[in-house]
Amino acid sequence: MSHLHIPDGVLPGWLVLAGWLCTAVLLAFCIYRVKRLELTRKIPLIGIISALMIVCMTLPIIPFAYHVNLSVVAGIILGPALAFISIFIVDLIIAMFGHGGITVVGLNTVVIGSEAVLGYYLFLMFKILMGNYSVGWSSGIAAVISLILSTSILVLVLYAAHVNPDLVIDTEKEPHIESTTHETESNVKNGLSINVFVKTALALLAFGWMLEGVITGLVIKYVSGIRPDLIEPDTT
Amino acid sequence: MDVALIDYYANHGKSFLHSAAAPSKLLFSALVIASVVITEEFYLLLAIYVSLVSMAVWTRLSVTKIITIAAYPAIFAILFVIVTWDGSLLRAGVIMLKALTAALTMVILIVTTPYPDVFKTLKPILPGIIHDGLYLTYRSLFVLLEMTDELVKGLKVRGGLTKKKYLRNIANFSSGIGLVLIKGFDITEKYYGVMKVRGYTGKIAADKNSGRFSTDDLRAVASGILIFSVSLGIKHYGSIDKSGLYALIVAAIILILSIVYTAKEGN
Repeated sequence: MSHLHIPDGVLPGWLVLAGWLCTAVLLAFCIYRVKRLELTRKIPLIGIISALMIVCMTLPIIPFAYHVNLSVVAGIILGPALAFISIFIVDLIIAMFGHGGITVVGLNTVVIGSEAVLGYYLFLMFKILMGNYSVGWSSGIAAVISLILSTSILVLVLYAAHVNPDLVIDTEKEPHIESTTHETESNVKNGLSINVFVKTALALLAFGWMLEGVITGLVIKYVSGIRPDLIEPDTT
Repeated sequence: MDVALIDYYANHGKSFLHSAAAPSKLLFSALVIASVVITEEFYLLLAIYVSLVSMAVWTRLSVTKIITIAAYPAIFAILFVIVTWDGSLLRAGVIMLKALTAALTMVILIVTTPYPDVFKTLKPILPGIIHDGLYLTYRSLFVLLEMTDELVKGLKVRGGLTKKKYLRNIANFSSGIGLVLIKGFDITEKYYGVMKVRGYTGKIAADKNSGRFSTDDLRAVASGILIFSVSLGIKHYGSIDKSGLYALIVAAIILILSIVYTAKEGN
């Protein structure tokens, strides 16, 4: 659950635009990379994986209001480029249900997309290190590490949301610039908030990371036992 | 989130919002979201929210259901308020209302517009693979929802999901997800075969919009323009005293009149 459930109009405009720009560039790159694949066969697969992610995202695990993403499962089965496209589709659809703001779809795609892409490459790495008989462990560990990294991106986004970029640039240019009392107080409060957030996130999400890791590992182990051809798609 | 219910509402509703074309409703939603983004005043946001509740009344669907579906982001808005707490209750209220208002806008859009119509409107601005992916995701969603429902029922009946056996529950649930995934793939393969037979070459053809602008479209667009104009006006001429409060009073009167009118029409 490392994506942003932040409402519209709360994050600064520059950050929202940066998220959309980043997503647009990455999507263009992914579409370019998958052009060589037989897309007529792959598009229905994107549909089924995206739908599965939506179904899982709509099943909150009580009492934590946590839900699994299965983004790493998407990465392992679809490959990084198709998984990124699939995640954009998922974010767009769930935003229409009011599950996170529509303006933060760009940032959400970057955060969850990074999970899928990292998960795919980490899975390949662990599979080489641990051998072919450990797809469950490889995917599970890959999922946990990917979630930790994507949560770090989320924390960075939240931190950036509090920091006025002009202030940062000015401070870098003139380290001893005098700040107003209000700015100082605000920065101290924001610093505290981010610290509180990181501590809260670590405490609450650690459970979620483990849970998603276990579920990812078991799902991939099950799928590889019955349909091994679905694991490790064409590298895109 | 009841996806099946939302789909039912979108396809079987009989209000002016259901009759309006998808592009008009998308424009309405975009204008309201833009209003939410630019508005920082608590009362004005509350006025927009109350106006949207009036719109929900006009859909002639269950208003309670619509509001409940749209209330889901409130959980996360509370978390965001806690994380960014600066001691201001008004700011917390603004964040909560932004979440609820934006979500209600999107929920009103999707309970009055079938998803394929929304995708069709977005087609000119989306790459082909994403547009087709949206269609196929939507189609697969209902297949998977049914399969997941059957899976959960099956697991419960056979003792696969029992109290206090969390590890076993997780293992069974994960295997179930794996099974749903494989079954989904099989269905996809068959679906792909059917699509091929019917001449699929990588592009799903969408019906063209009728292009006629009806009175229902006008009402939807006008509502959006009105909300956006008021928000923009109050933002620009912020010095007008209690303007947000006046907007709230007007919105509340409209809500009461809407409830009375729809109740009378129902009788």
